[in-house]
Amino acid sequence: MLNLLAHIAHKRSSPRGCWAVLVLTLGALIGLSGRPARAADDQPQPLTGRQMIIHVLNRCGYGPRPGDVERVEKMGLPAYMRQQLHPETIDDSALRAELARFDILAMGATELSRTFREEQQANKQRQIDRANAEKNGAVAMTGTSSNSASAQNERAAPAKRPGGEGPRRSFLAVAELQDAKIISAVDSPRQLYEVLVDFWSNHFNIDVRKGPCRVLKVVDEREVIRPHVFGKFRDLLGASAKSPAMLHYLDNFQNSAPREMSPNEQRRRQQALQQSPGAPTETVDNKPRQVGGLNENYAREIMELHTLGVDGGYTQKDVQEVARCFTGWGVDPQTGEFVFAPRRHDNGPKTVLGHDIPPNGGIKDGETVLDILASHPSTARFISTELCRRLVADDPPPALVERAAAVFRGTDGDLRAVVQTIIYSPEFFSPQAYRAKIKSPFEFAVSAVRATGRTIVPDDLLPMNARLAMEAGATFGRGMDRIANARRKSLDIAVIEMGQPLFAYQAPTGYTEDSRKWVNAGALIARMNFALALSEHKVVNVSAPSADLMRGVDADKPVLVLDQLNHVLLQGEMAPATRATLEKQISDKQTSDASTVNVPELTALVLGSPEFQRH
Amino acid sequence: MTLTRRAFLKRGGLALVSVGTVPLWGPSFLQQLVFAAEPTRAGGKKILVCIFQRGAVDGLSMLVPFGDPNYYQARSEIAIAQPTQKTGPQGVLDLNGFFGLHPNMAALMPIYKSGHLALIHACGSPSSNRSHFDAQDFMECGVADDKSIRTGWLNRALLNCPEDRAKLTPFRAVSMTSILPRTLQGDQEALAIPDLKSFGVGGDGFNPSSATASAASGFEGMYESAVGDLLHGTGKDAFDAIGMLKAADPTKYSPRNGASYPNGAFGRSLMQIAQMIKANIGVEVAFAEIGGWDTHVNQGGAQGQLANRFTEFSGGLAALYQDLGDRMNDVVILTMSEFGRTVRQNGNRGTDHGHATCFMVLGGPVRGGKVYGKWPGLAREQLFEGRDLMLTTDYRDVFAELSQKHLGARDVNKIFPNHKLNARNYPGLLAV
Repeated sequence: MLNLLAHIAHKRSSPRGCWAVLVLTLGALIGLSGRPARAADDQPQPLTGRQMIIHVLNRCGYGPRPGDVERVEKMGLPAYMRQQLHPETIDDSALRAELARFDILAMGATELSRTFREEQQANKQRQIDRANAEKNGAVAMTGTSSNSASAQNERAAPAKRPGGEGPRRSFLAVAELQDAKIISAVDSPRQLYEVLVDFWSNHFNIDVRKGPCRVLKVVDEREVIRPHVFGKFRDLLGASAKSPAMLHYLDNFQNSAPREMSPNEQRRRQQALQQSPGAPTETVDNKPRQVGGLNENYAREIMELHTLGVDGGYTQKDVQEVARCFTGWGVDPQTGEFVFAPRRHDNGPKTVLGHDIPPNGGIKDGETVLDILASHPSTARFISTELCRRLVADDPPPALVERAAAVFRGTDGDLRAVVQTIIYSPEFFSPQAYRAKIKSPFEFAVSAVRATGRTIVPDDLLPMNARLAMEAGATFGRGMDRIANARRKSLDIAVIEMGQPLFAYQAPTGYTEDSRKWVNAGALIARMNFALALSEHKVVNVSAPSADLMRGVDADKPVLVLDQLNHVLLQGEMAPATRATLEKQISDKQTSDASTVNVPELTALVLGSPEFQRH
Repeated sequence: MTLTRRAFLKRGGLALVSVGTVPLWGPSFLQQLVFAAEPTRAGGKKILVCIFQRGAVDGLSMLVPFGDPNYYQARSEIAIAQPTQKTGPQGVLDLNGFFGLHPNMAALMPIYKSGHLALIHACGSPSSNRSHFDAQDFMECGVADDKSIRTGWLNRALLNCPEDRAKLTPFRAVSMTSILPRTLQGDQEALAIPDLKSFGVGGDGFNPSSATASAASGFEGMYESAVGDLLHGTGKDAFDAIGMLKAADPTKYSPRNGASYPNGAFGRSLMQIAQMIKANIGVEVAFAEIGGWDTHVNQGGAQGQLANRFTEFSGGLAALYQDLGDRMNDVVILTMSEFGRTVRQNGNRGTDHGHATCFMVLGGPVRGGKVYGKWPGLAREQLFEGRDLMLTTDYRDVFAELSQKHLGARDVNKIFPNHKLNARNYPGLLAV
């Protein structure tokens, strides 16, 4: 192990921020080598070289596929990790070809928001038309049952649209996002990259169920999150601050300096009011109307959740001042893109976290805030803590957090250097961290697909858009009774049923990084059911397991089957108690019928075992 | 870690009955489990059923102020007629000479007359936010406009209630949804069960196969033997829960007292809540939801789109009330919606997002047969922001009263941190 770590430290290729990491890693090595050669009885054994590989595949990826451990063994763990830290060196053209079928994901912000707007309007018009038709129909046939209208609603539900255009594309965008994320996690050779994309997308959480976020998250994922996960934190933060999806989700598009309406605006408002017949008539007086006002939501969350952390040393006054700095940061309704509206901006002087911001700064005020936050020591610590929680342990080792934070500070927030520090650390490779975290439902589902050598394939039951419509519906909580009774489901629906609809966590915190929170009775039952469904080929868009899974294993010899499953799915690390239970399972079965071992059932049991819930 | 804390407490209580390798679903095991969950407290365990009308229900159609002439002025095409003999089934169901229930909510009339249904008009959140997304979120968190509170009020309420340690089960807080709603998110563990039929290994959801029972016992064995692992306790919880449900046998349920639940997801949710309550598996809080209230276009009057929603809604509530029979002595059903709708009809014979609306509270402990809340009036100068029904009852006063007097919460200020609570502001919905 020591050699391997030293090897990693020496062969590092990234030139920037290396010295600090190198020195720290070597320092840690010296510390390690000072440990007694023989661990005391209560001291867990250090990881073997093979376990280090398994650990990297588990934490810096979505778990090993059959043969992955051997492959990394052959190329060497240091080379593998170096490659993973530089995803641009890994060819992923096959994945990109696979994802090309999701055409909504390629659309620009302007087209996406126009689609959303038009579909909202068309939807409203459709309701009007339907209601009118209903009214006319109702005159003709009085005494229809009270359920007829709702029955009509159901019949008219998602598939049929005027002009035969199919389900709404702004709606399908959600499912395309989810499916693309699943496929990337399963198939991308850039595994660490996908893990970090998941981390940052969750860190800067956006719920697609809020208004136009369902289309704008497409842009956010593609242009805010993905390009920046190995870059500077300031760039990621800045991109997020200008992300139309974020501006909507955390309400900053409504954040403006309060001001009086201009006479023109006042007149336009009166006209608009008069044109809508149901609207209340307003007394025309000469008092100027106030419009706009501060919305502190983004200001609070950017400090509490995106940068400083809740105990990061800001006050309610800072929240207000930051909100003032971000007044006028919004979305252009025509282009759907970020726009700064000087007229909505508060140009007074401000003080943020002790820094004076002079008056009349315009858009610069917000940029200054981003500079202050990105370079704040609390941010370095908070980001390092969360990354360590994701990559190392639910209770992040404080010393490692401090070292990662030092690298963050010393490299101007170079996220590659920070991640490198974390995953090259002795804490990362410590026996306490090994298989210690519970997989999230998403990690569990993807790792089960990978472990059995399966891949995502086109749905064999429904056309793509019908499937996507069902998935998007499930994300919005629609059609769940139909879905609950469906015999076969897609992987995305399974992840929703296990409690983790992707891109759809309501609170801005995102899903917790503390993996213990994923443990509860209902979710565990859902996991067992997923393991069964996967093994019985009831997940419609997942292929059969790799032929290699049972190659050369005599299915008449239960012990050999079990050995093989243990080897492939748990890398030979099945707990003795689990093994005893499964052996009993086999022997009970064999007394009742003499046929061969039920491989799918055994596979399901291993995938649903306590061991496979961890990584 | 709350999960382990709960698991630990529960284990303490159930250790005697679940020790050893009792075969799954064996009769003695089940008997003991069900016995362990049996209420012993005088009057039985108190239960709160919360129902969210998602989409903002038009309170003025649900509980019609037929005595207010401004109502008919504002709604020339969608108002519900006065309760005269002539209008017959088209007219409102008179409650007190001023308010009447929507004619399609006739199923609730007997409950109102028996004094077990209270309605609270002009109730809701003081927030002027008119986004469904935000307003639902606020109401589920028990706040108004405060986005810094992230856990649900029901979750905090349970954390604030005395735990009956020996009787704590995984079913303490149950949501009949696929994803746990914000209301129940927080440190108190809660179950999200879209359908009881799928709550089991190899349940209907993924179509049971012949191997199901064998797989289930395999899973149970593995988690039982994983001693020392956090998952061991959770696995045991899961199989306890399955066992308890199996004993209640959800597939063979038939409602009592002639109760008839409406078809569809809402009716099924309520029926399954009744099943769980009757099975004595430790339910203290149950949550269900019903959508379809966002009636911007052609909402209808005595008949039509909204009227149909009322049929399903009131039919479900009445069935649950009937089905539970004497158990309603310990049960309160609370209905809520994120905001109401504009007083005036819009250009499409619908209504747009408004402010206050109507909440309902049903149950044995309820001082019903009465409409609560001060009526703010519908004259233009009486409206909120010149367009909506003014708020006269903060919904948190309703929730707080139920939390304190029904569930037994010790400190309601911890449940509604940003609301100045005072028992004198409680509507006085409960007899206790």
